[in-house]
Formats: sequence, C-alpha cells, structure tokens
Amino acid sequence: MARKSTLIQKDKHPSTQSSEPLINVSDVVKSFKTAGEDFFALNGITFNVYPGEFLGIIGKSGAGKTTLVNMITGVDHLTSGQVSVNTNNRKVSIHHFNEDQLALWRGQNMGVVYQSFQLLPMLSLLENIMLPMDLCGNYSPSQSREKAYELLRMVELEDHAKKLPKFISGGQQQRVSIARALANDPPIIIADEPTGSLDSITADHVFGVFETLKNQGRTILMVTHDKSLSPRFTRTLVIQDGELAHDSQTEAM
Amino acid sequence: MMRPRWRKVFHDLINNLSRTLLVVFSIAVGVFSIGVIVGAYVIISNDMSQSYSSNHPANVELRTGPFDDSLVSTIQNVRGVNDAEGRTVLSLRARIKGTENWQTLNIIAIEDYSDININLLNIDEGTNQPNNKEAVIERKVLQDMQVKVGQTLELQLENGTIKELPVVGIVQDASTAAGDFIANPFVYITVNTLPYLNEEPLFNRLYVTLAENENDNTHLQTMLTVIRDKTEQSGVSVFHSRFAKTNEHPMASTVQAILGILLALGILILFLSSSLIANTLNALLNQHLRYIGIMKLVGASRNQVLQMYMVLILSFCLIALGIAVPLGGQGAYGLAAFIADQINFALMGYRIVPLALIVQIVVGLAVPLMAGFIPVLNGSKISVVRALSDNQMLEENKPEQVEIKKETFVEKISLRFTKLLSKRNIHIPRPLLISFRNTFRRKGRLILTLFTLTMAGAIFIAVFNVRVTLFDYLDGIADYFMADVTLDFDQPYRVKDITNRVMAIPGVADIEGWAYASAEAINLDESLAENITILAPPSDSTMVTPNLIAGRWLIPGDEKALALSEQIYEDFPDLQPGDKIRIKIYGKKEEWTVVGIFKFVPQEGTFAYGTYEYISKITHQNNRSFSYRIMLENHDKKNQKAMGVVIDDYFQNAGYNVDQVRTGDSTLKSASESLDILITFLLIMAILTAIVGSMGLTGTMGMNVLERTREIGVMRSIGAVDRAIMQTVIIEGMAIGGISWLMGAILSVPITYLLSDIVSLAVFESPIQVIFTTTGFLIWFLVVLILSALASLFPARNAASLTIREVLAYE
Repeated sequence: MARKSTLIQKDKHPSTQSSEPLINVSDVVKSFKTAGEDFFALNGITFNVYPGEFLGIIGKSGAGKTTLVNMITGVDHLTSGQVSVNTNNRKVSIHHFNEDQLALWRGQNMGVVYQSFQLLPMLSLLENIMLPMDLCGNYSPSQSREKAYELLRMVELEDHAKKLPKFISGGQQQRVSIARALANDPPIIIADEPTGSLDSITADHVFGVFETLKNQGRTILMVTHDKSLSPRFTRTLVIQDGELAHDSQTEAM
Repeated sequence: MMRPRWRKVFHDLINNLSRTLLVVFSIAVGVFSIGVIVGAYVIISNDMSQSYSSNHPANVELRTGPFDDSLVSTIQNVRGVNDAEGRTVLSLRARIKGTENWQTLNIIAIEDYSDININLLNIDEGTNQPNNKEAVIERKVLQDMQVKVGQTLELQLENGTIKELPVVGIVQDASTAAGDFIANPFVYITVNTLPYLNEEPLFNRLYVTLAENENDNTHLQTMLTVIRDKTEQSGVSVFHSRFAKTNEHPMASTVQAILGILLALGILILFLSSSLIANTLNALLNQHLRYIGIMKLVGASRNQVLQMYMVLILSFCLIALGIAVPLGGQGAYGLAAFIADQINFALMGYRIVPLALIVQIVVGLAVPLMAGFIPVLNGSKISVVRALSDNQMLEENKPEQVEIKKETFVEKISLRFTKLLSKRNIHIPRPLLISFRNTFRRKGRLILTLFTLTMAGAIFIAVFNVRVTLFDYLDGIADYFMADVTLDFDQPYRVKDITNRVMAIPGVADIEGWAYASAEAINLDESLAENITILAPPSDSTMVTPNLIAGRWLIPGDEKALALSEQIYEDFPDLQPGDKIRIKIYGKKEEWTVVGIFKFVPQEGTFAYGTYEYISKITHQNNRSFSYRIMLENHDKKNQKAMGVVIDDYFQNAGYNVDQVRTGDSTLKSASESLDILITFLLIMAILTAIVGSMGLTGTMGMNVLERTREIGVMRSIGAVDRAIMQTVIIEGMAIGGISWLMGAILSVPITYLLSDIVSLAVFESPIQVIFTTTGFLIWFLVVLILSALASLFPARNAASLTIREVLAYE
C-alpha cells in the first residue's frame, strides 16, 4: 500500500452526500497471528459513508463489526488498506497519525459511544462531558461547563449533572455517553452496540436520541447485531465473517 | 472550578484511601528514616563537640598524690596554660537515707564552685553550687539510684561510720570522664566538706586548660609533659595523665560511625520503599488502563496522561512529606537526645535541621517520581485498543484469545511437578494449587515484593547474628573477668587471712588476691605515649583466660614482664613479643619486657597484666592485697548478687574497710549496655524494613485480588465458600513470605559479615569473629509468616466479600 505524502490533505471540493464521502474505507484487512494460519477478522472491506447518513453496521457476534469500528475510529491498527476521513474541509488518512495526533483528531472530529458507556466513574456526569473539551482545549473552562449543561439538557439529564455515573441507570449513562461524544461538536458519531446492554424500552429511548441527532444533520455510524433495527437506519451494511455481505445502498442502486 | 482532568487526579487521590495510604506510607517510611538519621547525625555532630567544648573540658588531666593550692598556682603560671584547677576525687559507698542499697560513687571536692572554669557543671535541677556539707549529684547517679533533690545521701566512710549529705542539686558534667563508661557516677561537694568525711582537704586531680593550640595533638602532648614534669618537680607523684582536645568529644568518632551504619540502613529502607512505590504505582496504572483508554479515546494525548499521573504521584509525595518531615524532625531530635543522654552531653535545643529538611524533600520528591515514572510512562503509552481490551468492545476478536502463548518456565515446572505427584497418587487440593500457581503469575510484581521482603528478612536475621557476634566477643572479654565477685578494700589485707575467711563462707569455690598498678609508657623523647593500667593476678591464676594474638601469657618467675592489650599497637605499631618497652612506674623509669599481646575492648589507656608476685613486691604489698577475686560454686547472676551481699556483710561486720563488692559482670555491664543501645537501633531499622516489606506484600496481595476479581467470581459461582477464597489468598501471601524467608536467610550471610565488620570496626576498632545464631532465622520465619498472613488477610476478606453480582459489575 503506497503511503500518501502528507497526512492531511485539503479537499478541493466541499463534500456532499452525492459526490464526496465523509469516510472512505478502502480494502481494509485486519488479521491476527495464530499458532496455525492467520485469522482474518476483516478481509478487504470497502465502503464510503456520506454526510448526514445514519449507517447501521449489522452482523452476528464475531462477524467483525467491532473490529471494523476500531479501524474507523483508529483505536486499532490496520493490517492493510486505508481509512480516510474528510471533515472540516480536511481529508486525513487516520492510520498515518501517531497516537497523540490521532487522539486529538478523534477528540475533535469523532464522538465514540460504547455499549458499556465507558464513563469515568470518579467524575460527575457534568465532568465526564467536560473532559473531552478540557483535553482538546477547544473551549475555555466556563464555555465547556455551559456546553456540558446544554448537552445534558439535550439528553434530559440536567438535574443529575452533579451525580456520579454509578448513581444513574444504564440508559441514563448511555445518554451521558452520547452527550460526551457530542462535546467537541464532532461531525461524526460512531456507536458500538449502544443499546446492547439496555432493556428494550430504554434501548428505544436511546435509539431515539440518535435519530434526533441524525435529524439535526449529524453523520452516525452504528454497530448492532439487531436486524430489526434495519428499517430505522438510512442505510445498512451487513458484515459476515469479516467481509461486507450486503450494502443496502448498492442494492437500491 | 477545577478542570475535569485535575478533578480526576483529585478523585484518584481520595477515592481509594487504602491505596493512597499505602503509597503515602511507603514514601513516608523512607523519608522519615532518612530524616531521622540525617537530622540526628547533624545535631549530634554539631552539638556533641559544641556542648563538650562549651563546658571548657580539661586539656590535661593528672591523677596525683595529694597537693594544695601552691601547685595549682605554679601550673597556672606555666607558659601556654590558660587555667588550672585542683580537685579531690575519692570513692565512697553511698545510699539514699532510709534505703538499703549501697552504690559506689566518686566524690569530687571542688574548692570554689563560683569560680569553676574547667569541666563546668550544667544545672539540671536545684543548684550547681553546694554549700559545705551539701551534695550535688551528676545525672548518671540517677541510673542506679532514684535520688531526688531534698533527699539525703548517706556516705559510708573507711572506718565504717556513716555521714549524711543533703542533695541540693542535679547537674550534668559532660567533660569529666567523658566517654569512660566504667567510671562511677559523680557526687560534688566542697573541699571544706572533706574533713567531715575524715579526709584531708587536699587535691589529687589536676585539671588544666591550654591557652592556645588546644586542638593540636602535638602541642597537647608537649604541654602534658611540661605540666607533668612541673608537678613532679614540686614533689607530687603523678600516677596517671591524659590529654584531650577541646573541640572533639572522646566518643565523637564512635557515635558518628554508628550513625553512619544507621544512615546506610536508612538508605536501604528508602531503596526498599521506592521498589514498593514502583510496585504500587505499577498496579495503579494497571487498574487505570481502562480510564487511560477512555481519556485517549476522547482526545487525551500521551503527555496529558503522563502529566495527570505525575501530578498524582506528586500529590502522594506532598502528603507523605507533610507526615514524614515533622515526624522526622521530632524523631531526629529524639534520637539525638537519646544518644546525648547515653553519652552524657547536652543538646543545644530543638531545631529544624536544614540539611535534613532538604534531604527529606529531595528524597521524598525524587524517589517516588523516579520510581513512578517508568510505570506511568508505560501506562501513558498504551494504545486505546489495548487499554480497553478487557471489555466487551473487543470480545469478538480479542487478539489475546487467538494467540497461543507458550508456557513459562515456572508454569512448566509447576505442571510437571503436579503431574509427577498425581502419578504417585498424591493430589494437592485445587485451592492450594491455585494459590501456588497464582504466586508466580505477576512476575515483575513478585520480584519487587520478594526483593523488599528478602532485604527486610536478611537485615533482620543479620542484626540478630551481629548481636550474638558482639556479645560473644564481650563474653570472650569476660574471660579476663571470670571472678563471680570482686571484693575491694580501702586498705591492703593479708591474702592468707582474707582467703581463709572467704573460703569459710559456704558457696565459695576459690579466691585470689590481685595487685594493681598504674604506669605510663614513655616515648624515646621522654614524652608520655600511653597510660597503662596493670592488673596483677597470681602467675598461676585460674581466673583469667586470655585471648592472645601474639606471644605468651605470664608464667611464674616473670619479672618486669607485661602482657599488653592490642591497643598498645596504636602507639607502638611494630611492637613484638620479646621487645622491651620503657615505662614509668611508681616514679621509676624502667625497661620491661612485653611477653604477649592479647585481644581486648578499646578503652582509655592500655590494659596490661603483670604477675602478682612481682607487682606486689615493687608496691611493697608482699602477701597483701587491696583487691580479691572470688569464684563461686554457682556462677549465675542471681547467686553472684546474693553472695556479694553475704560477703559484703561478713567483712563489714568483721570490721574490715570494704570499699566495694562488685558482681562478676559489672565491669562489662556498661559496655554491654552501650552495645544494647546499638543493637536496639539496628533492630528498629530492621523492624522498619520489615514494615516496608509487609506493606509491600499487603499492596501486592491487594492488587492481585483486585485483578482476579473475575476469577474469584468464577470460583464463587462453582461453589467456593468464603473460607476457600480467603485460604487461596492467604496461602499465596504465605508462599511469597516463605520464598522471601529462604532468600533472606541466604542473603543474611554476606550482610551479617558486612554489618559485623562495620560495627566491630566502629566499636572495637578491629574486625571480630562472626557468629551465627538460629534465633534470627527462626524469629524471622515466624514473623514473615505471620506478617504474610496478616498482609493477605485484608485483601482475602475483600476477596471473600465479593458477590458474583459485584464481579459482573466490575466489568
């Protein structure tokens, strides 16, 4: 795979859903060494994500969904292929970043939500949301506080702002986790099984939050094993044995 | 408002109090030890000499025949002399009025207390200026006699009459007999009181201070010769003379050497505590990997993470300093005060020692930051995927699950051993097997824990060995003092008479009359080389077993022959058995033959043995003696004491002038007391290392339990009861303790040799034969097992209290 000469490229044309993809996943391979043959968790996956899409990545347990999310968020390394992201008129090949560059870039451009919420237990809800703003330095302390309250209001948890995560329910924690993902106002939200550990009513409520965000124009990429959610996405990809088995957009075309 | 990242640091500090306390105390123990020792070292180095010199110690001291003021005036007029004073020293038995216990005290008579310029007396209580027929006591008297100001002392005179002196003050005399542990405690009276005690108002000690160069050995030596000659020219016999510098306490080098040893141990404790800090921080970072992952996920750079955790360590440091610095300051002064009390000098008052403060701050900040830097750096470098890999995020394709790992060496041995046993139908219970296998799972942590515990054990065991070594050496010295009871009279009595009387007392096995003489070894230029104290047992004495290092012991017929202690080498390093040595004895300068050189504890002057037959002849005490050594049939201390009283009463009632009756070990009592102090300090340091070691083990077991929360949950779900879970953890802790004991026992051997050499060189000025004792090994074995069990108990209780629900919640 040829390396690009620069990590960040200025896009000559502003991205649009029809022309410029926001995320370009190109021939991504991820394999693990084993005692016998190499194990391919992802085997040549290629697709684009366009601005404003609410993309569902669906697959059974072990299909490679989370590995794919790790490749897109840059938390794990590729074996081969490329993931480039075009945000704020800048196109970057994220796997060419070092860890620090990637952390900062991710903090500013990508909000990540996990099934297990991943909130820091020692910080209050408000502080958890302020943390990305503090680390990325985009806001002053008073601005970040104001913004954190605003986000808590959005997820209807303003009254619980000073509580520690362990004192609220799972569904509420997940809403805080979504609010945190939005802290630096990133254009992309990536969620890995965000409703996986919630009961159906709470899961529906949380899913509703994502739909609201989609309606506000955010690009959302969500991993789920629940096929029944397919109709609620604007587009779905089905991953099977590390390969892209189905893309609803291609089928529609 | 505090920023979230610093809020997290703050929460990390206070949310896990037991961990914070563990790290803080690990740092504090090291900082405290160093602070105490450096502080005490500085205080003592400074105050010992300053307090000593501020008391105007005599530069020259002569023990003489009786003299009066005219000799004092003569010496005062000698060029180079600053001042001279005459005093009287006599030895009398005393007791508190109304009590029975007699104590031999040295009575010092001074002419005018308002005009003392040499060997000043500092007031502890009451006055330092007794009037006629009053007494002021030196504080050392209080060690054996609980006398108070206002009480009355009864003094027994040579003729048996008892005179009373009210005690009007307690003083500290830091100069007279400084460093002489064997000297009797002092009581001060006026010269005008002497007739009341049936003594002539004449002096027998001359104390002189010099006008210049009072810290120059050559000048001191020259002036000593001049003053001694002047004294003798005045017709006054000189029995003993010595010189001393003004600015150096006689015990300074010994005390500093001992503090040096303590400093080395303090540094070791610091070193051990730093490994404990590294271990704890490693575990902390391990526990925090997920948080690091989350922070990196939401935008934290490596430097930000590094900063946060370094600030956390810095906070641990500051708390530890807040505890250890004030305690260290108090401890330093306490240690200095204890040593000052033992050596008998005054401290210049409580103060903060800037050097100790700086050392504590530097050490308290630098050591934890350095110890923690590598774990923090490694933790901050972790990738997000690794940091979050224990979570469901990667459970589909976790690399760790796919990769096949090879068995480690320890695992191979463990598995083969288990197979071997099971083939022979020996089945180790599974929980026990889990304990043993768990022990070796975290190798880095195990190594650090073992290192700390092993060092602690090795030092602990070594201290016991050194103790036995030192006391064995003292026992060897006791062979020179084999008599069970020493009976001293104020006048010589016929040996035959005393022998018959003593042998008639039931329980006495043998008696010998010994002679005693003082002499001076003289250099070729006629200057004094060394004072020699000659003890003269009969040539066929059975009460001395010398440890000869050269030549032979005395034999019947030896005349003008001496066996000298090895201390003579300081002045005559090339001396060989058979060589002649010039001595001045009873005013005559003679050449005597050195027949042998024996091992002995260093003390002021040189110890020597001559034959009773010859020494009694030259002292005109043929067949008579002042001093008798008595051997009993039963040598135990209780019997010695009881028989001492019987013999004392017998001779008192028979009208003999008994000076004192001492039990066999009393001569060595002071020496062994000072060794006990040293051993106590060494043991304190050993206990501190043991505390650091057990804290390390507690931390390790706590971390092990925390990391195995899920396994404990699994064990619970398949039927493990509280007891089984606790047993698993405690046995693991005890296994670590057991391994550390074995390693510590091995390591204690070289440490024993090293510590013995350092201590014996400091105390006895020569290396001594090392003796090993099983006591230290056994005590440490029990201690380490108990410590291990206790250290594991708390984590084990935590483990046992975990429910399956909590285990699931852990994830």
